[in-house]
Amino acid sequence: MSRFLAAALLFCAAVSAQDARSIIEESQRRARSGSQRYEGTLEVIDSKRKVSTKRWVYERLGSAGNSKAVLRFVAPPEVKGVALLIHNYPERASDQWMWTPAVQRERRIAFQDRKTRFFGTDFTFEDLEERDVDRSTYRMLGEEPIAGEPCWKIESTPKPEARSQYTRLHVWIRKADYVAAQIDCYERERVIRRIRYSDIQNVQKIWTARRIEVEDLVRNSRTVLKLEKLEYDVSLPADLFTLQALRRER
Amino acid sequence: MTFRFRRTCSHCRRCGASARRAALLALLWSAALSAQSFTQRGFFEIRNFAFPQTAPNDSGRIVSEQLLRWEAAWRMSPALQLNAGFDARFDSHRQFERAWRIDWADRRRQRPAISARRLSLLAHKGGLTFEGGRQFIRWGKADILNPTDRFAPKDFLNVLTTDFLGVTAVRGTYERGGETLDIVVQPVFTPSRTPLLNQRWAALPEEAAQFIIREAPVEYPRRAAAGARWNHVGDGYEFSLSFYDGFNHLPVYAVSATLLPPPTIVFQRIHPQMRMYGGDAAVPTRWLTLKGEAAYFASTSPLADNYVLYVIQAERQRGEWLFVGGYAGETVTERRVQIDFAPDRGLAKTFLGRASYNIDPNRSMAFESAVRQNGKGFYGKFEYTQAIGAHWRVTAAANVLRGAREDFLGQYRRNSNLMLVLRYSF
Repeated sequence: MSRFLAAALLFCAAVSAQDARSIIEESQRRARSGSQRYEGTLEVIDSKRKVSTKRWVYERLGSAGNSKAVLRFVAPPEVKGVALLIHNYPERASDQWMWTPAVQRERRIAFQDRKTRFFGTDFTFEDLEERDVDRSTYRMLGEEPIAGEPCWKIESTPKPEARSQYTRLHVWIRKADYVAAQIDCYERERVIRRIRYSDIQNVQKIWTARRIEVEDLVRNSRTVLKLEKLEYDVSLPADLFTLQALRRER
Repeated sequence: MTFRFRRTCSHCRRCGASARRAALLALLWSAALSAQSFTQRGFFEIRNFAFPQTAPNDSGRIVSEQLLRWEAAWRMSPALQLNAGFDARFDSHRQFERAWRIDWADRRRQRPAISARRLSLLAHKGGLTFEGGRQFIRWGKADILNPTDRFAPKDFLNVLTTDFLGVTAVRGTYERGGETLDIVVQPVFTPSRTPLLNQRWAALPEEAAQFIIREAPVEYPRRAAAGARWNHVGDGYEFSLSFYDGFNHLPVYAVSATLLPPPTIVFQRIHPQMRMYGGDAAVPTRWLTLKGEAAYFASTSPLADNYVLYVIQAERQRGEWLFVGGYAGETVTERRVQIDFAPDRGLAKTFLGRASYNIDPNRSMAFESAVRQNGKGFYGKFEYTQAIGAHWRVTAAANVLRGAREDFLGQYRRNSNLMLVLRYSF
């Protein structure tokens, strides 16, 4: 009897794990596009409630953890021209290079740098990379509404080869459209970063959060990213996502 | 003590040509301004130095420099782009020229009041990129010293606060996957700008006060320089191999003296032939990023050394802290140099370190130091930077230089200074 119960429990756990993974897979499938472009406005609000605004242009080719992306600051003038090139791979951590026009050189971002805040925002370099579904394991934690929307609550644990700064993530996925509503990022037992997704709109048949708020719970600061002029499946040449392009684009 | 300078005055015909070029440029840019693919940025900066000590050849204690920099890019088509950058400068210490003309070559003794920092046409298709004209070419991966960075002359009017000078060159780059091949031909030589003899950064010995010091006209190399670099980006590492055949942008000096009255010493700058075989690598690991760069320099000139210059450094990011530490070394295989001005070799046999901390998105501070392995030279810097609003930035720094007179760092021991910089970016 007890053997049957153990087997049943194992089966339930497996089904639950499979469900959690399926939900993440479905979420990723629905968000899939060949490319993406948007202009982002960032409001960085520090612990003293002082607000500074930045703007960047983001372009991505490919998706679901096998993509290349360039993020280029266009304002304020102090950081205009600074760019980040990201090559995401399904099987390993991404390669990232940062271009600083003042010194006319790119700098490779090391693994240990990836937990560093990106240019004074509350995003870390790791937060800017895409993750393939296979680079984490998943567990269903239950159901919990976010902003009145029914959501699945899933625990995602990065595999060691993912070399993540986070011990685990709690992800809330909206049942209605499979869009992530919130992610709590844990370092051991402590939530260090909370990402909230809102203003969810249907853009070219892809439900997308147009407002992303990242809260650094350690520093008590937050960054609000608003996606403007968002387009999917735009024609972007592959040579835009190279080190040469970093140097040549202004 | 008297210093005599041979001042080059602007030639009328040259002025006319400059005016025509400026007018053509203005027309081009006015057309560009109307296009949507036009981007620009720049800043105005006031940089003030206070030196507690005077120098034997310079009694000035306060130096103020003003710089207006404007950089723009106009994409005429997806494959064609025009890049430009101009500087306008003024200073209190006569290190910069006062002539209001555009200097296209930027290789006179004083820094030009107005210079074309960059003016190049860039074309690219697929992985192939060509850029011709005045441009910046940076090689190497290390942060504290770049022996392989041969197409990057600098302005050393102030040896601590340097600025890269553009070079007139044609550059072809082919990038495919993780491989990049870079080929450069530089038909017009651009030297690094050395300190002026009547300024404190020339660091003349006290005995020189008995002499009239004169600089003989320099003859720049006429042959083109060329170089090639292959860069490979692998899974968790990258490295490059590079080759350069040309001339050292840093000079050696031929010195002659006359003891008959008036006693005179004549320096002549010579940029010796140089061939470089180099390499660099970066390996980001879980805990540290290791970077290394090394080059062997050979010359046929009887005035230049053959030597190896190398750098090893480790970098670690920890929260808002960034630590960089390393060692720069040198091995001379054939010594021929009598007198030279070589800040790159001057930093060899030295431990170098830098720590910076981001206090918040608007404030940061940094510590930097160089300590000679024999203890004869020391350089230390503390810098605090604060951004004010979206446009303004204030930087305050203290630079300390100590050491023996014969040491590269030590020779500037009277040049410790405080610096205050106010920048408005647009």
